[in-house]
Amino acid sequence: MSGRFRSLFGRLKLKHSLLNQYLLIILLAIVLVPVMFPLSITVVYLLMPPEDLGGEEIYQFGAEMEKMWHNEARQLDGASAEEIDARLIRLKEKYEEASMYWVDGQGRTRLRLPDTLDVPERWTPAFTVRFMKERYDGDPFTVVAFIGGKEEAGFMVFELPRSEMTTRGQQIWEKRDTVLIMTTLSVIVLFLFVSWIFFYRIRRRLLRLQQAMTKPSPHGIPSPTVVHKPDEIGKLEQAFNTMIGELEAGRRREREEERLRRSLIANLSHDLRTPLTAIRGHVYSLQEEPLSEKGRQSLALIDRKVGYLGQLIDNLMSYTLLAAGKYPYRPERTDMVRLLRTVCANWYPAFENEGFEIELELPERGFAWEVDPAWFERVMDNLLQNVLRHAKTGNYLAVRAFRQDGAGVIELEDRGPGMNGVSGDKGAGIGLTIVALMLKEMKLDWDIISGSGGTVIRIRGLIQI
Amino acid sequence: MARILYIEDDREIGSWVEQDLKRRGYEVDWLTSGDGAVERVADADIVILDVMLPGLDGFTVGQRLKKASPQTPILLLSARTAVDDKLQGLQFADDYLTKPFHPDELAARIEVLLRRYGGKAESRRLRLGHLDVDPDGHLVVDRRTGEEIVLTGKQLQIFMYLAKHPNRILTKEQIYEAVWGEPYFEGDKTLHVHIRHLREKIEEDPGAPAIIETIRGIGYRVKA
Repeated sequence: MSGRFRSLFGRLKLKHSLLNQYLLIILLAIVLVPVMFPLSITVVYLLMPPEDLGGEEIYQFGAEMEKMWHNEARQLDGASAEEIDARLIRLKEKYEEASMYWVDGQGRTRLRLPDTLDVPERWTPAFTVRFMKERYDGDPFTVVAFIGGKEEAGFMVFELPRSEMTTRGQQIWEKRDTVLIMTTLSVIVLFLFVSWIFFYRIRRRLLRLQQAMTKPSPHGIPSPTVVHKPDEIGKLEQAFNTMIGELEAGRRREREEERLRRSLIANLSHDLRTPLTAIRGHVYSLQEEPLSEKGRQSLALIDRKVGYLGQLIDNLMSYTLLAAGKYPYRPERTDMVRLLRTVCANWYPAFENEGFEIELELPERGFAWEVDPAWFERVMDNLLQNVLRHAKTGNYLAVRAFRQDGAGVIELEDRGPGMNGVSGDKGAGIGLTIVALMLKEMKLDWDIISGSGGTVIRIRGLIQI
Repeated sequence: MARILYIEDDREIGSWVEQDLKRRGYEVDWLTSGDGAVERVADADIVILDVMLPGLDGFTVGQRLKKASPQTPILLLSARTAVDDKLQGLQFADDYLTKPFHPDELAARIEVLLRRYGGKAESRRLRLGHLDVDPDGHLVVDRRTGEEIVLTGKQLQIFMYLAKHPNRILTKEQIYEAVWGEPYFEGDKTLHVHIRHLREKIEEDPGAPAIIETIRGIGYRVKA
């Protein structure tokens, strides 16, 4: 039996399905109402103390009492008044709840038990008729029996309030509506309570899962959650854990690729620069040798190109990282005038050596941008490098910073041949591409005005307060 | 004569740099790997380190060297992109040079580092115009009269800070923060006033300063 029951459970897969669990709760509630009603009546019957129900055993059946009374009356045939009194007193001891009295052949009321009983001293025919009419099937339950079975000896009366005669069953049957309502209500309340617990537990588990999902571990991916039950939420938790596993594997793969990419770039950079360094070394050694002016010029050109190639490699590597979004970016509130001053301090000697006229207009009261200082330095390096390389003919550099319409502006001006003009070196492209990418990422606007008279580059950004 | 511990794995570059530095009058101890570098760092006045060493990473070697001898300056030669190097390289390195470097620049950087750290045996006197300056003894002497020029505390601190970084343009912020030890506030004229008083004492013609040069918009420079 239990085996078959278990197999039924198995087929329903109760442990695996919250839906089936809840269907079972509803089903139990529906079945419980008709079962609970008789059950509760039985319980009430068993639990209620007999006193509260009244109706001792001897009072239960009117017919029996009637029979008993007629029997007693018959036995008193020919008895004296004293004998009748004594018998009634004895009977009264047995039937405490009942009232008794007898009336003699002359219609006079004799012994009254109890004494206070409201019965007339003399029974007129009219009263007798009314009495009989009233008491027939009335309350109290009344039995009238002729003593000795003969009318001339008088009659004895037995009275019992009907309430004493009702049985427990009858009493409960009278309260059936209340019991029915109470039972139904308690089943409903029980159902609601069980449902509430059921959903409360589901909710608690979902909240736990939500917390697990939204609380990332130090490495940015949420930690897996412990699966307690194999039901729908358990499956969700399992899916969540699987997803985290895949996410972590993805992150690992990404890190590995990132590491490979970085080491590839580093190695490539090294492999490219090492021969360049050697070339430069030999150029330098050659310069020490006696050479014609033409040879000297060639060497100077080679040297310049070597330097340029070095920068190109650096820019190429930076561009690769930048385009892949792998160039570390740490924006912070940066005092731009201060940063410009530092950058210019680094570049000043180079321009000075080339004989540039340098004009710096940096205000005492600066402004701040939300940028990565290393990035902005890189932008300035590339722009100034371009000026140094391509605008040598103008021999002029101006760096200005000022406020305009609530924005901060940084301006670079040279008097070179312009971006479309002829310059000693070519290929400002990748350097400017890096500048463009970086400025865009830092949310700074920029424009270039370039003509044969020179180039003005303006970078404009919102001032951080 | 300054002793240089030079660590470079590329033989071609290594021998060229070694020869060039020797020609310039340095004593060069060239190693092709980081092995044994820590033992030799104590004898060196300066370390030149290539970061792409085989086996041990140059950064690891650099950190060990710095730990073994914190007083020896390290000049990093790098072939990597600036990204990685700027992040971890300058933790222990005192200066930085990207390949392909120019030998003159290498020599110049070595000179600056040696001067800043005070080469082990060398006397540390700087000739600035008509002045002899001893940054370690905090002494400024007028060479023409042989008399010491007495400067106030702040004037001396400013002048020594500039003298320790000859030929470098130092921004107002840098100087102020190095001397006063607190952040520079825009528009603060304190430094300007101190420089003016300093010039009155050390310059022949304070109206046309020859020792402390003003780089307009940026800061000041002492030319050695």
